[in-house]
Amino acid sequence: MLVKLVTSRLRATRPRRLAWLALAASLGLLAGGCESFDSPQNTFSTSGDVAEDQRYLFFFVMWPALVVMVLVGAAMLYILFRFRRRSEQEPAPKQVHGNTKLELAWTIAPAFLLIAIAVPTLDGIIDLGRAPHDDALRVNVIGQQWLWSFEYPELVDASGQPLRIDGRPGETTELHIPIDREIGVTMESNDVIHSFWVPKLAGKEDVVPGHINEMWFNATEPGTFAGQCVEFCGLDHAIMTLRVVAETPEEFDAWVDEQLAAAAAEAPVTGTR
Amino acid sequence: MAGATLGRRPLTLMEALRQTRAEAATYRGIWSWVATVDHKRIGVMYGITAFIFFLAGGIEALVIRLQLATPNGAVVDPDQYNRIFTMHGTTMVFLVVMPLSAAFFNLLIPLMIGARDVAFPRLNAFSYWVFLAGGLFMNISFFTGGNIFQGELGAPDAGWFGYAPLTLNEFSPGNGINYWAFGLQILGVASMASGFNFIVTILNMRAPGMTLFRMPLFVWMTLVTSFLIVFAMPVIAIALFQLLFDRLFGGNFFNAEAGGTPLLWQHMFWLFGHPEVYILILPAMGIVSEVLPTFSRKPLFGYPFVVFSGVAIGFMSWGVWAHHMYTTGLGSVANAAFGVSTILIAVPTGVKIFNWLGTMWGGSIRLNTPMLFAVGFIAMFTIGGLTGVTHSAVPSDYQQQDTYYVVAHFHQVLVGGAIFGLFAGAYYWFPKFTGKLLKEGWGQLHFWLMFIGFNVTFQPMMILGLMGMPRRVSSYPDGYGFGLWNMMATVGAFMIAASILVFIYNVIVSLRSKEQAGADPWDGRTLEWSIPSPPPAYNFAEIPTVHALDDFWHQKYVEDAAERPVPVVAGGAHEAEAAEHEAGDHGSIHMPSPSYWPLIAALGFPLIAFGFIYDYALIAVGAAFLLVGLYGWALEPATE
Repeated sequence: MLVKLVTSRLRATRPRRLAWLALAASLGLLAGGCESFDSPQNTFSTSGDVAEDQRYLFFFVMWPALVVMVLVGAAMLYILFRFRRRSEQEPAPKQVHGNTKLELAWTIAPAFLLIAIAVPTLDGIIDLGRAPHDDALRVNVIGQQWLWSFEYPELVDASGQPLRIDGRPGETTELHIPIDREIGVTMESNDVIHSFWVPKLAGKEDVVPGHINEMWFNATEPGTFAGQCVEFCGLDHAIMTLRVVAETPEEFDAWVDEQLAAAAAEAPVTGTR
Repeated sequence: MAGATLGRRPLTLMEALRQTRAEAATYRGIWSWVATVDHKRIGVMYGITAFIFFLAGGIEALVIRLQLATPNGAVVDPDQYNRIFTMHGTTMVFLVVMPLSAAFFNLLIPLMIGARDVAFPRLNAFSYWVFLAGGLFMNISFFTGGNIFQGELGAPDAGWFGYAPLTLNEFSPGNGINYWAFGLQILGVASMASGFNFIVTILNMRAPGMTLFRMPLFVWMTLVTSFLIVFAMPVIAIALFQLLFDRLFGGNFFNAEAGGTPLLWQHMFWLFGHPEVYILILPAMGIVSEVLPTFSRKPLFGYPFVVFSGVAIGFMSWGVWAHHMYTTGLGSVANAAFGVSTILIAVPTGVKIFNWLGTMWGGSIRLNTPMLFAVGFIAMFTIGGLTGVTHSAVPSDYQQQDTYYVVAHFHQVLVGGAIFGLFAGAYYWFPKFTGKLLKEGWGQLHFWLMFIGFNVTFQPMMILGLMGMPRRVSSYPDGYGFGLWNMMATVGAFMIAASILVFIYNVIVSLRSKEQAGADPWDGRTLEWSIPSPPPAYNFAEIPTVHALDDFWHQKYVEDAAERPVPVVAGGAHEAEAAEHEAGDHGSIHMPSPSYWPLIAALGFPLIAFGFIYDYALIAVGAAFLLVGLYGWALEPATE
């Protein structure tokens, strides 16, 4: 009799314990997994102001959301345990049809919580949505199937040609930028929709044919940052990659001079042909 | 003598048709299924067909997971991968979750409102056949790309969302996109027809006394879903027509070079697409709202709040479409507006979750399989809803948009939500339509395998997205830290697949079992439990008169002074009524006659679509089928 009771209890609790485990595991994975991995496109290990603001906002929403999730989950498990049917002979419970005050409360309370989310959201939208500052370094990003090209409209050589880095199929194009300076990006597409994304520096912006989009970002420390196209654009979408090389202003200027000189050396050859 | 002559010579077409119709009326044999207009049979056919497509979409998912299990996956090439992920998404949305919901509408709505059939039984059969035709048409595209045995697939390859201009001829030559666009048009006809049918059925066919606020919650959610279908499908139909003009006749709706606007497609698609999300989830919410009260032995907590939050979701679903487009450059004001509307839609969703918890609170909860799935639904849907709230933080969403974080989010909603809800419904109502309960042990195994598998599959995807893994990539390189989490997701996907095998096994064993479930195995609350399992063709021997919400429960129990239900004494109203149901011959009840015309009309659609793709002559053939079908339908005598 006792054995039977114990085993039936065990059987009754096992699903709940599994559910706890699953919950704890998913929580642990979510909280622990993201921060500890310094992978090349991790949105949590940021090196630019835009990405940092976005990371901050994500946590601003994620932590309350996690709290709500844990509370709802815990409430559910508590209810399932406390109000489980102990025997089939158990009389039916009191028939409660609702409680208007309580229901109004749980309609209105989340609304306040959600308004709290709206405040930094709107603030962020306006900040990121502004046009790039006048002193920003302008870059044109050109997307096409399946490569990226970059053009610096303000950095011109002796003949007035802007510095341009053309992508080659199957290769990763590099975008050089100076650190601690705002980069104003203008995006254009030669064919289908692409999306320009360098997770450690900033969230993405779509590259739409016939529609010029702008965004701004910066890098706060030197380094090489991986990025890729994130709008499905056909066969080789997966390998449409790019790299941002952020360097000190001196290094960047040296790189620009070098590129312009190389372009000048090449130009006559193509020009006479 | 004349009969013998008739027996020898081959039947004329009309004679053959009349004979099959006569056979159909007997409710036996294959023809009785082909020509059926019985909502229960159509529901069963919807369910089985959608489940087969579910297996197909599931196999596609497993191929995707195998490809992505390790870095630089080479199970399929990028071309095959793009076709398979496109078909996975399209299949699961249009050929699985929508028709599975339609299966439940068909099976249950007439029974729950005390009717003998839907308002338009032949239109209902037409919906099913058009759905089947559209689903097969869509999947035939796999075989049109060359030699399939050498891996040459012809299926569409621009994603289930089909963003222009990638879908235009210049970037997507071949017929894949044409199959996709025509396939969705055909499926849209089926959805529209069934949407109208259920609106009229619910508004006009309710038993006496069943006011709107005595309707079971599933009926309410079906009504809201049907309205969403009726308003949303035309939007995508127009978008698809525009796309087809561009592809077939050199139109310029989406071609930027010729002055078209690629973003127009996205607005149209998501104006349809976001209500569609609720078309997928509201029926499951309705199912859960039926299962929870039964297994808690308590009425739904705050019925009006749950109804109105469902209606509110239906309205608000039209105001959030651009949250799929934050990064397309809509400008700060539009992004702010759609960010706020996305925040607001969380309110009615939250109300539902709290009311479900309120339903269970103070109840007498039995965790049978349907209840397990319903509870699993609440848990997973909560996570899905909360990750949805994180999307309303627009600047942060610039990071998560188009990453695996979004994949994780909507699978939380559509698998952890819709599919769990539909399985709850399958376990709950299986005995009603087969007379057999699904085995509890196998059901528990199914649930736990699926629940754990689900979490092992989709929670790692959240991490992948936050780690910067984009969606829709056919492979990813080494050194990005994606390998471990992808491997987990793949293991989880196979756990889900195993759980589905358990379900299939369970269905087979349970159908073969000799144990009868009886009319009311769960102590149900709604009218369908008041009639035998499986229900007779005419459903109700006598149309019931409804006196309350949860009418059947009130036939069985009265509440004492402390609001506790007390069983009605033997020989009370409930049993008297049951006895009345048993007695007598009900052959004289007038039921709609079977008809093969809906099937003939339905065949017209794929033929017309083939005509546009291959040879215009076929359009005439298809149109002939459609016209003959519709004329035959219109001129058919009501009874024979």
